[in-house]
Amino acid sequence: MVLTLATAPTHPLVADCIAADRFASLGARDIGQLPVTHGGRRARLGDFFTVTGERSATLRIAGDLAKVEGIGAGMAGGDLVVDGSVGRDLGRAMAGGRIDVQGSAGENAGGAPPGAARGMTGGEIVIRGDAGAQAGAAARRGLIVVTGDAGPQAGRGMIAGTVVVFGRAAPGAGRFLKRGSIVALGAIDRLATFRYACTYRPPHLLLLLRYLRARYQLAIGDPQITGRYERYSGDLAELGKGEILQWVAE
Amino acid sequence: MKIDGVTIEDTFAEAFTMRVARLIITGRNAKWAREAAVKLTGFATSVIGCKCEAGIERELAVDETPDGRPGVSVLFLTQDKQSLPEQLIVRIGQTVLTCPTTACFDGLPEAPDRLAVGKALRVFGDGFQSSKVIGGKRYWRLPVMEGEFLIEETFGMQKGVGGGNFLILAQDADAALAAAEAAVVAMTNIRGVILPFPGGVVRSGSKVGSQRYKNMIATTNDVFDPTLRAITASQVPAGVNSVLEIVLDGTDAPAIEAVMRAGIRAACRPGVVAITAGNYGGKLGPHHFYLQKILA
Repeated sequence: MVLTLATAPTHPLVADCIAADRFASLGARDIGQLPVTHGGRRARLGDFFTVTGERSATLRIAGDLAKVEGIGAGMAGGDLVVDGSVGRDLGRAMAGGRIDVQGSAGENAGGAPPGAARGMTGGEIVIRGDAGAQAGAAARRGLIVVTGDAGPQAGRGMIAGTVVVFGRAAPGAGRFLKRGSIVALGAIDRLATFRYACTYRPPHLLLLLRYLRARYQLAIGDPQITGRYERYSGDLAELGKGEILQWVAE
Repeated sequence: MKIDGVTIEDTFAEAFTMRVARLIITGRNAKWAREAAVKLTGFATSVIGCKCEAGIERELAVDETPDGRPGVSVLFLTQDKQSLPEQLIVRIGQTVLTCPTTACFDGLPEAPDRLAVGKALRVFGDGFQSSKVIGGKRYWRLPVMEGEFLIEETFGMQKGVGGGNFLILAQDADAALAAAEAAVVAMTNIRGVILPFPGGVVRSGSKVGSQRYKNMIATTNDVFDPTLRAITASQVPAGVNSVLEIVLDGTDAPAIEAVMRAGIRAACRPGVVAITAGNYGGKLGPHHFYLQKILA
């Protein structure tokens, strides 16, 4: 099934009804009737998107979606592929399935709804570009991969789960981290509340990085897969059982 | 039936349904994966005395393992569902967890019966352990002095076959051993089958119970002991002075059959008089491997 942006939004378009598992049981007409918010006003998804193709657990979205927010929010299964960049709240509080964005994403990817204690609780988000601030904020479980740079405070307040950043991780990464992992293949601006533990080869990264290379065809080299990583425990201002794993050498 | 002058007796091997798990053990190199596997499968020749039967199934190349490192696959069998996780937890905890560089993965991912082996072993981490879900499977990371030990949370369990066998009846001990060694070479490193005894060979085949001692559940197979030919209802043919047995366990009957076929053919060498098999009249085990049918 393909969802194509036919009418470009002039204001932020909150379309948190878009989810692969939700669409799998709906016909084109029903999908067009789903509610969205455009510039604070109620509208319908069909006012902006056209739907083609048969019902399927795989949903593809095409068009310039930089102003479309909340794609994949609360998704619990299926595959969602986005041909381009998206706005904020991608996969917000998602519980399962896979989101593959062929571009950048705005703030709070995989994060929590306003006022909620938990962000994503499962599933995988791959952003083949940059991520805005607070990617994976308050995540309880799940995986977020950013092949470009991550904005400030990636993984803020994570309870568990994993954020992998290929590029630069901006300041504040892992702030208030309880458990969970931030894997930095590029540079990372570490907080003072993370303490160096050791330099080693984490065995689970052999699995994780090989999986990402095979499943998503991401450009991950053997030096990263088999390489050594510095482990920093933190956030020591919190529980301190989280970690930053920073790749240092083959 | 004769193969290269060796008589293949018209009989069958009687085997039992067991529960089996397959473990994939990887290491920094093949040496360390093998070290862990050898310790894990030590003292696991027969459920009679070891409560489990285990052996190295085959060595795995880097493209066959979950983490891309050299590995070894191990088959682990018990008589019942309950004892399999018990044995795995104790043995992995003492042999694989302790072995440098190793990780331990499930080799039966399709099996619906799941054993929470990694989940049980995680508590060695004393609260410092953590888990990761990768590709839909959960793994436990246990901090150890070397770094981390990684183990899959659950392992698959399925029905298997234990006790496939054949006996090599030879003119002398040297010929029996040479034939057994040739058979083991032909039967080793094959998917789905292990040979749980030392070097794959048994010299002390047993019968059920005892003629003399009430507390013994298995005693020497006197009818195949050449030294007792004159004083028992011996089944040792004339000209035979030594008998060795090959015992094999596997994931399924076709795998056992295929490996028995390869092993028996390899054992048909000069100095071997006959090949036969052990059974209990077909009354105890549901799997009957007829030698002549297998080799036809």
